[in-house]
Order: sequence, then structure tokens, then C-alpha cells
Amino acid sequence: MIELNTLTYLFMAVAGVVSLIATYLAIVENDLVKAVIFSALQSTVYTIIYYLLMAPDIALVYIPVSVGLYPAVILFLIKKTERTEGDLEGSGGDSG
Amino acid sequence: MRIKKLLVLSSLIILVLTFSLAFTKGALGYYPLPLPGVRTLAYWYLITTLNPRYPSFTAMSPEAVTAIVWDYRGLDTLFETAVFFLAIVGALALARGISLKKALDNANNKDNGKGLSLICKTATRLLTPLIIAVSASIALHGHLTPGGGFQGGSAAAVAPLLILVIFSVYFLLSKGVAEKPMLVLRTAGLIGIYLTALAAVLIGLVTGLNAYVFQNQPKLDAPVGIPAQVSNALISGTLFFFNLSEYLAVASGFTLVFMLLSIPEEIVRSFISGEAHE
Repeated sequence: MIELNTLTYLFMAVAGVVSLIATYLAIVENDLVKAVIFSALQSTVYTIIYYLLMAPDIALVYIPVSVGLYPAVILFLIKKTERTEGDLEGSGGDSG
Repeated sequence: MRIKKLLVLSSLIILVLTFSLAFTKGALGYYPLPLPGVRTLAYWYLITTLNPRYPSFTAMSPEAVTAIVWDYRGLDTLFETAVFFLAIVGALALARGISLKKALDNANNKDNGKGLSLICKTATRLLTPLIIAVSASIALHGHLTPGGGFQGGSAAAVAPLLILVIFSVYFLLSKGVAEKPMLVLRTAGLIGIYLTALAAVLIGLVTGLNAYVFQNQPKLDAPVGIPAQVSNALISGTLFFFNLSEYLAVASGFTLVFMLLSIPEEIVRSFISGEAHE
């Protein structure tokens, strides 16, 4: 039988790894709309971590900001520029 | 390409996991790890936050976080609100001269035929009152349960945002949510915050007693205080009013920025080049 504490820490570790993957994908993704979605996924996982670390106040402000307001602002701005990221010389930008 | 991505990703994950294991096993000593118990400072906050036995220390709120944010460390939050206010002022300054009403007239846009499908619209119609109700409960119960003015305000701002995306900015304008009312609401919220911060001082001036800015409950050398209970309901003195004002300021500020951001680019350009003024 796994202890409840261990289970909480395990869950936090999994959430942390998912956030790491989402952050990496958000950085290397060339399609900015997809990058925003990855970024929102990372924030959603962070909300879970905040909740598990017993910070419900931060979780409450993080849900609307990270899932609603922040992707919306970025999407509005992407709409005003271009959807895909790229250099003038051609492809690239995958090195980051 | 794909293999390179996978390699980078897996090495990143291994790096992070190794470091976490090293930290938890005490490779850097146990100093960077959080203490298992409650620290002295946290203990002090927890024991005084709702404790009528220490009348000159308590904030009379069971929610320690809100008590810290608006009472113990209230001045920090005031300046935080000032930063948010300045950010909105900056956004408004960038969009100066652009009138949503004029944009509506110029583009000859009515809301019929605009927006997403009927399913989205019906779902939004059902969800919007729920979002407003939940956000109001987060903000107005902020001194009792987790939550507060900023949390409630940002949750409330999701409702106009949904309407903006699913209907259109013209629908929002036709419902009376325009720049002017939002500006008035936001200013009312800010005035509320400043008046609440000065409430004890104003009472002190009238009664001739000593009082401090940002004072909530009576202190040893300043017997003025805001009542913690109104007809047996706990309002925690200034905390309720701070939360209410911050809720109004944040919700209307976010709404204002989203409305300005959602104006189509061509209309913004026509305003900048001055065609729309004729």
C-alpha cells in the first residue's frame, strides 16, 4: 500500500515532467497557435501542482489567467501578426 | 528531425529527474528543502489571523492568505494594484483615438450573422451567468474561503472574453458593455480601494483618535477600527471592501483591454491614418 504522501509527491513529479514536455514543445513549435496550446497545457499542470502544494488561492487565480486570459491575449496578438514563426532566410529556429 | 526532438526531450527529462532525486536525497544539504513543519512566521500569522484573544494583532479573517495580502502586507498589494492600473492606462494610451462606437458605425457591422455556431452561442449564454456568479462568490467570500478580489476579477473577465470570441465585440457593445462604463467601473474600484485604505484615518480625524493608513482592527496606540462583523456576518473589517473594489477594478480592466485588442486590424489602421475621423 502506497502512503498518501508518497502518492501526492509522485503525482507532483508526473505533473512536473508533463509541464517540462509541454514547455519544450511550446518553445520548438513553429505554429504559434499550437505553441499557445502547449503553453496553456503547461499552466494547467502547474495549477494541479499549486493545488497539491496547498495553495488554493494561487490555483484559483491561475486557472482563469492561464487557461482563459493569457492564451486569449496571445491568440488575439497572433491574429494581428502571422501564425507561423520563421526566419527571412527560410526554415530554422529549431535550435532553441 | 523527430529523433533529434525526442533525444533533446528525454535528456531534459533525465536531467530534471536526476537533479530532483539529488535534491531530495540531500546532495546540496537539507537547506534548500522546505521545512516539514510550520515556520515561526507562518505560525505567528496562523495564530493571529482569527483570534479575538489578541485584539491588537488579529485581522479577524479565517483566510490567512487574504489577511496577509490586504492587512498584514496591505501596502504591497496596493502598489501591485497600482502597477496593474498603470498597465491598463498604457494599453488605453496605445489605443487612444480609437472609438469602438465609431468603429461599429463605420464598419456597418451588426451582430447578426457574426460569431461562431449556434451550439457555441447557446452554451455561452448558459455559461456566462454561471461564471459571473462563481467569480462573485470567489471575490465576496475572499475573506472566508480561498480566493479574493484579483482571483474573482480575473474569473469574471473570462465571461466577456467568451462573448467577444463566440459572439463579437459588436454584440458586447450592443449589451452596453462599452469603454465608458468599464472605465467608470474601474475607476470606482480604485477609488474604493483608496477610500478603504484611508477609512481608519478618516474615522480617526472625525473622532480625534490616533489611526494609521491601512489599519483594519484596533491597535494598541490606535483604538480606531473597522467593525469585523455586520449584523453577525463576518466581513473582517476592511478586507471585504478591498476584495469588492479589487474585483470591480480587475474585471473591468481586463474587459477593457480585451475589447481594445479585439478591434479588427483594418479598423485600427483606418483610425491611425485618420480616415475614420472624417
